[in-house]
Amino acid sequence: MNFELSQDHKVLQSAVRDFVEKEIKPIAMKIDEDHMIPDSLVTKMSEMGLLGSYLPEEYGGAGLDMLSYAIVVEEVSKACGSSGVLISAHTSLASGPIYTFGTEEQKKKWLPALNTGEKIGCFLLTEPDAGSDAGGTATTYTRDGDHSVINGSKTFITNGGYLGTGVLLASYDRSLKHKGITAFIVDLSSPGVTILKNENKMGIRGSYTTAFAFDNLRVPVENLLGQEGKGFNVAMDTLNGGRIGIASQALGIAEGAFERALAYSKERKQFGQAISEFQAIQFKLADMWTSIETSKLLVYRAAWLKDNKKNYTMESAMCKMHASETATFVTKEAIQIHGGYGYIVDYEVERMYRDAKITEIYEGTNEVQRVVISKLLLS
Amino acid sequence: MKLLVCIKQVPDLESRFKPDAAGVWYNETDLAFRMNEYDEYAVEQAVQLREKLGEGTELTVLSIGPDRVVEALKKALAMGCDNAAHIQDPAASGKDPWQIASIIAAYAKDKGFDVIFTGMQSQDRGSAQVGVTIAEQLGLACTTTIVSFDYDNGTITAKRELEGGIKGVVKLKTPALVTCQLGLNVPRYPTLPNIMKAKKKEITAIPVVELLREEALATTASFHPPAKKGGGIVLEGDVSDLVDKVIAILKDKTAVLR
Ligand SMILES: Cc1cc2nc3c(=O)[nH]c(=O)nc-3n(C[C@H](O)[C@H](O)[C@H](O)COP(=O)(O)OP(=O)(O)OC[C@H]3O[C@@H](n4cnc5c(N)ncnc54)[C@H](O)[C@@H]3O)c2cc1C
Repeated sequence: MNFELSQDHKVLQSAVRDFVEKEIKPIAMKIDEDHMIPDSLVTKMSEMGLLGSYLPEEYGGAGLDMLSYAIVVEEVSKACGSSGVLISAHTSLASGPIYTFGTEEQKKKWLPALNTGEKIGCFLLTEPDAGSDAGGTATTYTRDGDHSVINGSKTFITNGGYLGTGVLLASYDRSLKHKGITAFIVDLSSPGVTILKNENKMGIRGSYTTAFAFDNLRVPVENLLGQEGKGFNVAMDTLNGGRIGIASQALGIAEGAFERALAYSKERKQFGQAISEFQAIQFKLADMWTSIETSKLLVYRAAWLKDNKKNYTMESAMCKMHASETATFVTKEAIQIHGGYGYIVDYEVERMYRDAKITEIYEGTNEVQRVVISKLLLS
Repeated sequence: MKLLVCIKQVPDLESRFKPDAAGVWYNETDLAFRMNEYDEYAVEQAVQLREKLGEGTELTVLSIGPDRVVEALKKALAMGCDNAAHIQDPAASGKDPWQIASIIAAYAKDKGFDVIFTGMQSQDRGSAQVGVTIAEQLGLACTTTIVSFDYDNGTITAKRELEGGIKGVVKLKTPALVTCQLGLNVPRYPTLPNIMKAKKKEITAIPVVELLREEALATTASFHPPAKKGGGIVLEGDVSDLVDKVIAILKDKTAVLR
């Protein structure tokens, strides 16, 4: 057994770290304030290859592995949770299912533009009345010649505002519940797609969270992803992989907050000594770090399982659940260690606290993760 | 043409340094290592020249040290070097600049390199002797602390930084060696696709005994870690934001501003 990163992974980690330090960290606060990741940063991340880390080189990806992807999302999220989820949703929720379920033609057609960041990807599953219960999908499609015609609405779509390439789930017969659902690859710049709004949020404010209406959106039949009526499987498999991305985002947010809390505890003096001299602060740091390290082991292991083509459903649910709860816990304690300054925007840990909360909710709430884990334990 | 760039891996200088068991150097346990900053400028300049010259040019990156230095070599390969030479030496940190230079000179002797790039100095040892000593041992023209570099048809034109910010321009005929200083260029990030491509590039491992002929001329007698600094605040961000932050801190925590 070996718990060390390989030299190749270390090279990648330090390259991404340098990039984040120079290109993202200095503007993370502004991204939150402006509710916007500047296009120039999206371009730089694309040029760096961050948007196609584990996709094969033949489709314009970097050809690295899932562990590399986890490290990328983690390192980026240390500085900026919004940029972290942009990469995560793009890679695991759009490029991921196209790579896993797509035909050779579909992969050749859609993946290069996603991997180079020319198109930003998103995943359109959630609807106003179908959240945790994705089987309740009410967006429908009918066949019209060589097109499927999609009608309905989707909500809370990360990266939706870029109007790039989406993987969309729709039903041909709602009475069939999840058995009636099919996945499609859609070009969101097509007629029939309307953005209802980009949500104003508690955290990850630089990331688009978009509500869409679809009014007779015509999708060529060759864009059907996987098999008709098997879209629910596409969605579940996609979310399995995606949870590793969200867990990495949560892990990064926690590490970013911890780094600041540790430094601050050594700088800040009260009662004539650094507050890190107080056992109350020391114990917080010990608990925070232990949770972070536990999360990291779970995340890297889930990535390793996927890389080694082993089953990882339970592990991805566990790492997402644990890392997200670590993120909310660690960011909350980081504010506490900062005292009043932690509540002030300039110290950045309050942003991290706001960014952390969503990781307990999206790509399956943590209640749903517990359902997944316990079902597997009892099956 | 054949190009060589020599790099060293050094510890992150923010680390807490402790003396090693013999008390003559730092203890490496728990330290994070990265490419020496000046060597990054050297690699970037070598890669730029490699790109300018195009086909038929071969750029080799060399490092002496234990297995961990392969990470620095892989980074240089991902930045655009063609192949790497790892001179395996777990005891490299104990060697003096004369020995290090003679190992590199022994490696380079029959290889016909036209230009050799090194950093101006290493961040941990800081002798600034290795580059010039290699040049001397190989009988090459040499210039140091360059902040701009141009090559045309067998002639290097380099700007040197002198004390007090004055700059001087030197011209030298190849084969030559230059040592690189901050300000020369902005090293590129190794991109993910290039990190992947670097995995397929060749790294030749050479045991140091095959190249080491010289005794040390200057041995280090003892090592003293830096004294603990008092806590300070490091501000980061846009200049305009920084000004606001400094003013806010002055208002908040001092009586200088009200
Ligand atoms: C910022 C943001 C970005 C998002 N990005 C995307 C995206 O890119 N693509 C996409 O498709 N969706 C996205 N979502 C949607 C997200 O995945 C859903 O919000 C989430 O799955 C929960 O669905 P819901 O909001 O409808 O909550 P509900 O399902 O209504 O849940 C409400 C509460 O009930 C609990 N609950 C529900 N069912 C059960 C059960 N069976 N057992 C126990 N408890 C249960 C939940 O855990 C939760 O606590 C995003 C959401 C947000 C806020």
